[in-house]
Amino acid sequence: MSSRREFISQASGVMAGAGLVLAQAQPATAQQATQAAGRSKLDEVRARGKIIVGVTSEAPPFGFVDDKGELVGFDIDVAKLIAKATFGDETKIELFKQGFATRWPNAQNGTIDFGIMVTTVYADRALQVAFTRPYIDSGIVVVVKKDSPIRMIADLNKPEYTVAHLTAPVQEERGKRLYPNAKFLTFDAISSQFNAVKLGRATAAQLDAPVALYYIKDNPDIRILDEWLTDVTGNAVFLRPDDFKWWLFLDTVVAEMLGGSLWSAYKTAYKKWFGIEPRHARAVQTTNKG
Amino acid sequence: MDYLAQTAVLLAGLFPKLVAGFLVTLGIAAAAVPLALLFGLLLLAPRMDRRAFICAPTIGFIELMRNTPLLVQIYLIYFGLPLLGFYPSEFACGVAGIALQHGAFLVETYRGAIETISQRQWDAARAIGMGRFKAFRHVILPQAILKILGPLGNQVIVLTKDTSLVSAIGVMELTMTGKMAIERSAVSVEIFVTVALFYLVLTTALGGAARLIEHRAAGRH
Repeated sequence: MSSRREFISQASGVMAGAGLVLAQAQPATAQQATQAAGRSKLDEVRARGKIIVGVTSEAPPFGFVDDKGELVGFDIDVAKLIAKATFGDETKIELFKQGFATRWPNAQNGTIDFGIMVTTVYADRALQVAFTRPYIDSGIVVVVKKDSPIRMIADLNKPEYTVAHLTAPVQEERGKRLYPNAKFLTFDAISSQFNAVKLGRATAAQLDAPVALYYIKDNPDIRILDEWLTDVTGNAVFLRPDDFKWWLFLDTVVAEMLGGSLWSAYKTAYKKWFGIEPRHARAVQTTNKG
Repeated sequence: MDYLAQTAVLLAGLFPKLVAGFLVTLGIAAAAVPLALLFGLLLLAPRMDRRAFICAPTIGFIELMRNTPLLVQIYLIYFGLPLLGFYPSEFACGVAGIALQHGAFLVETYRGAIETISQRQWDAARAIGMGRFKAFRHVILPQAILKILGPLGNQVIVLTKDTSLVSAIGVMELTMTGKMAIERSAVSVEIFVTVALFYLVLTTALGGAARLIEHRAAGRH
């Protein structure tokens, strides 16, 4: 196992090229110095005067490049809220674009101060990195046309229906389990899945809940089934596992966003990207479903 | 060694799926090649017509098909036809997209070859009493075919590789099968190399066949 990993990491290292290595080298060195001094990231960040945040540019509406060529998205807005909470200025931030596979080592070795990039909390991941409480609910939902006869997931289980999946194998497995009689169509892009439903190529599609909300904002002819395909999961900020002071600060900021002093700013960002208001963590706790 | 053994096991397990994907790729190519050849032939006469009202729209259409990306055309056919109330299968949409674009390239290949035959050949044929059609059939065409064979072989190889684009509309061909396997196993380089080898086998065979046909045809004279 280890020899294979080494091979892959060597091969990908060569391909990644010198640019990436250079880009990562500087913050990493700075971090090693502080680690040696035994200081928390919180002290380091305050001394530096800006936060280095690991983000993605490949997952609308969380992090993507807009028409003007700027990196925007809900995750980016939440990261800016955290910068504002830290320095009173949302521009004291450096967005560090990273791949999904490199987010863990970058958080662990201090290349980034924290990461926020559509990251679902799973127990096994929490062995590798620390998570704050989730800043948004997620889960897999089914979208159909507004006038579709489909009401529940079981309704899809007929040969005359077609469901659009992403190449991710979990989607196909879910399909085989929950609607084995339906036809499956597989695409390599989320937008193709959505378009398949919109243009009548497919009856339904499996999408991440926030992604579905984002698309539906501009496509009122599509709706989300009330019944979800998965349990509600949470997307959270992740960071080094051994820095309690830093974790406590970030978790406090997230808690304040979800139902405290930062609620209105958080609500504005949420509404901007998903078209609906988020649930207030304290006021409407009892309506929490899932 | 550990790595090699693991990769071998993984690829051996994947092999039947890749072969199934390969057969779909073959099917797309086998359907698209004759369609493209035919489509090219159909457009040849209007393309070479000297009357502007026939020739100009044909040129416009050919340029449109040649100068827009095949992937965009495939998306347009697949997602655009439903807007008009037609729902052809993803396989049919893929084959149609490939045949249309490659057919447009082939018209120009045919035309180029015919136009390289000197005007004197025409004159000579007519001088010995052949009609326009007979001159084309017995003097121009046999020479033009020789010139077409080389570029034609190229076109067929390019077409075969272009079949990978129909993975974008959900046809489970070789590339899509590879992508699915990568999502499942998180092993990327090894699977892509294997997929590439499948294409290489196919295109090498096609290239060899094309050269063989070319040699034979050339040897006839």
